Order: sequence, then structure tokens, then C-alpha cells
Amino acid sequence: MSLVAKTSYFARTALESLWRSPFIHVVAVLSLAVALTGFGAARVVASQLDRLVESLSGEVELTVYLKADSSDETRAQLVTALEQRTHGKATIVSPEQALARLEAQVPGVRALSKDNPLPWSIEVAVPPSARQAQALREVARKVEQLEAVEAVDFGEAAVDRLEGLAFALRLAGLVVFGLVFLTVVVVVAATLQLAIYARREEIEIQKLVGATNRFVRAPFLIEGALQGLLGALIALGLLLLATHVGWPRLVALLGVLDAVAPAVTLRLAGEVAALGASLGLVGSVLAVRRFLRA
Amino acid sequence: MTMCVITPESRRRRGKGRWAKQRPVIQMFHVSKSFGNDPPTLVDINLDIAKGEFVFLTGPSGAGKTTLLKLIFLAERASKGQVLVAGRNVARLRDSGIPYLRRNIGVVFQDFKLLPRRSVLDNVGFALHVVGTPREVVREKSLRTLKLVGLANKAHLLPPKLSGGEQQRVVIARALVNDPAILLADEPTGNLDPALTVEIMDLLCDVNARGTTIVVATHDATLIQRYQKRTLRLEQGTLVAEEKGARAAQLMVQG
Repeated sequence: MSLVAKTSYFARTALESLWRSPFIHVVAVLSLAVALTGFGAARVVASQLDRLVESLSGEVELTVYLKADSSDETRAQLVTALEQRTHGKATIVSPEQALARLEAQVPGVRALSKDNPLPWSIEVAVPPSARQAQALREVARKVEQLEAVEAVDFGEAAVDRLEGLAFALRLAGLVVFGLVFLTVVVVVAATLQLAIYARREEIEIQKLVGATNRFVRAPFLIEGALQGLLGALIALGLLLLATHVGWPRLVALLGVLDAVAPAVTLRLAGEVAALGASLGLVGSVLAVRRFLRA
Repeated sequence: MTMCVITPESRRRRGKGRWAKQRPVIQMFHVSKSFGNDPPTLVDINLDIAKGEFVFLTGPSGAGKTTLLKLIFLAERASKGQVLVAGRNVARLRDSGIPYLRRNIGVVFQDFKLLPRRSVLDNVGFALHVVGTPREVVREKSLRTLKLVGLANKAHLLPPKLSGGEQQRVVIARALVNDPAILLADEPTGNLDPALTVEIMDLLCDVNARGTTIVVATHDATLIQRYQKRTLRLEQGTLVAEEKGARAAQLMVQG
């Protein structure tokens, strides 16, 4: 009985407080919304970057040039071996195919020589899981030692650069995220403290008539969590607006960024909501603590 | 309403015998209180207040009346000595136990401490919500207590719409709604004109007649003269005299 009475009292008090001093709560909710939008945007951008790096790395190929005397059987064996090693897709390119490609790029090449000087080769598209420069180098080194192999070529520099780029971007993202997070905690705690300060008289009287600290705290915690959720709702709205309306416009405007469209996933929505609620909670815990000492 | 004025002598004599046998609800033994390095606010206080007693606590401003009351409901803790409330040593009470002590003590202030944006009824009900009373019960009990202080018809007004005397009655209702054993009042009539003062004091007498122990801190000599109660007099933090009504008032006027 008492528990039900208390719970309903807490919920009513929290809602009443939102209702009674709307301005301070609007400020708190908006600052939370801004922070959460920042968080969500950072996550969307990060996943975009990941995808970009991935798509660029998808072009990284291992090309194995074979000796002129290699047999069909050797080539088939090599294809199987390469596919096993790299978990990628290996294709045999005959000298004729290679020449046709070259002719397509440089017309008139075919006419230069009667013989086809190009060797048999095997092209391996390296899957994302084996994208690391280290792993590729390993594979290249091993394949190079095989008897039928003349040379191995792979975009070592490109892979290295991509990896460096991805690392730098992740690091930058982490730093920015850390700064944003810190700012949010400070802003939220300060705003909530303002809201609680407005109600210090009420807290004083509550304590005077025998309220426990937990009893005084509970409505503020509910309030904080509610504010966080409201902020998350606004942030998600803004993010959806950005990805569904803003992005297509941007693509239309610049005309070049026709990459995969960014999306607000269900998982991201959950993360934003959870982060919002816990930020609100932490903020109100920090804010209310000072007023309970008396 | 004024019964304790009509027969003060008889009540006092009858009461004295009763008090002597009653267990004390508030006791202090060699209590001192100092704040930081300032000279102590209270020095070596010893007192006994019996169950159902009505006691005035008097003395000039700054004598330590408020501090002494605060020691009882643990808004402050004694620096030295022991404070017993209902036989419990509150000096040993942990902070987490304070709320439960306060539920047995109603407190009334000169400056009311009402929430201006909540109705009179809500202000009284506040004290009941704190103990987890269901909503309907809160409403019913608050109304009953407001009726007791004669304000049932103003239950839905906001406190600033009420006169000072009415606001103080709301505060008393809030203090009483949990049926506390003790009611502490710090200058409850300090902001009120003489007519309202009588109104409030008579109400406190009624409450006392129902068995609640009452301690009223006041520097108003006319009150003490009029109501003829045991009077503890504080001066510069020391309990200098324990007199009955008229003599205490006389001393006050002279001193």
C-alpha cells in the first residue's frame, strides 16, 4: 500500500515539477537534446567513415603474376590455396584478357606487338576481415615463394594509408566524443541544480517533517530520467530530419557524395535513449546531493 | 478555546502532581553547543519536560532559544552532553534515523515555511506523503486537521491569500497532522498582532489539552503572564531560571 502510494506520489511530484517550472526544464531538456544529437551525429558519421574505409579497401587487390610455363592445374591449385588463405575471391586472368583490358585503357596497344607479353595472373579481392596490411604482407610473402609464381603485387602503400586514416579518424572521434560527453555532464548537472535550487524550500520542509533522503531524492531522479528521455526524443527527431531530409539535399547539392545514405538504426535510437536517461539520472544525483546534507 | 486561561491555577496544581509521575519526554543533561570557535551558544543545559506538559522557553534574542529547540529535533547536534527524546539518546542517533525522530515532532516557525504555490490542503498533506500515506487518506486526514484549526473552508486557497494568523494555523495543522508526541514552536506569534497571537496560543492550549507536549519559545512577556505555564529562561546560553507564569513575566519585565 505504502509502496504504491509512494510511487504514485513520486511520479506525480516529478510531473508536477516539470509542469510548474517549465522554463528551467526546457533549458535542461534542450541542453540534453543538443548533446545527444551530437552523440548521435558522431555515431552516424563514424559508421559512415567505417563504411567509406571499407568500400575503399574493397578495391585492394592482391595480384599474383605467374611464370609463363604454369599449367592450368597449377593455376587451379593456386586459386584454391589463395582463396583459403585470404578467404577472398580469386579469379584467373589469362594473357588475352589482360591484353583486352589494357587495350580498353590504352587503345592501339595491341597493334604494337604480335606476341602477347602479358603473363597469366590471379587477382584476389581481399575481404574486409583480411584487410590489415600485416596479414596481406604475410600472404604475399608466402605466395611469392611458390614455384609457379613470378611476382606478387598488392597495394601495400594504399592499405597502410587507409589504415592510418581510419585510425586517425577513430581517435579524433573518440577525443571529440569525450569532450562532448564531459560538457554534457557539466551542463546537465548545472541545469538540474538550478531546477533543484528553485525547490530548496520544498526540500527543507520535507526534511523538517521527517522525509528520508531517499524520499526527497526519488522525484528528482525520475525528473532527470524523464528529461533525458525527452532530450533523446528531440535528438532522434533531429537526427532523422538530418538523415532523411538533409542528406539527400546535400547529395543533390554537391552531386559527388553519392555514397551509402546514413541511417538512424534502431540500435542507435536505443543507445541515444539510454544515454539520455542515464545522463539525466547522473546529473540529478550529482545535483541533489548538495541539498540533502542539511 | 480559552479554558487554560480561565483556570490556570487549578490546572497548574493538578498538572504538577501528574507531571511528577510522568516519564519525561525531553531531557537534557549538561548540554553545550558551540559553533566553530565562537563562544558557546548553549552552556551546560539541564532540563526535564514531562509528557503532556506545556513549557515556555524565554529569554532575550540570541540567548539560544532556537538552538535549544534545534537540538531536540536534531537540526543541530549537541557539542557536549546528552539529549533524550522519549527516552532515546538522540546524540547517538545516526543521520539516517533523523527522519523517523522528526515524524514524532511537529515544528512551527515564526516565518511559517509554507509552500506559496501549493494549496493549504497540499501544504498540510505534505507531511503525510512523506510517511507514505495513500492519497485518499492524506486528503481526509488533512481536511480533518484543518477543521481542527478552523480552516476547513480555506483548504483550497494558496497560503499568500491567507492572513498571518491563518497561515500560522496552517503551519500548526501541518505539524499536527502526523499526530506527533511533541510540538515545538519557535516564536509562533512573532509576526502576528495581539488578537491573532491569542488565537494561535489558544489553539496550542487546545492541542496540549489533547495530550501533546508543547514547547513554545517566545520573548513576549505578555504571553507568559497570560498563560501561566512553566517557563524556562535562557540568558547568554545558560538556563538562569525556571519559574511559573506571573513571576517569570515579572522577572522579564524587570530584567
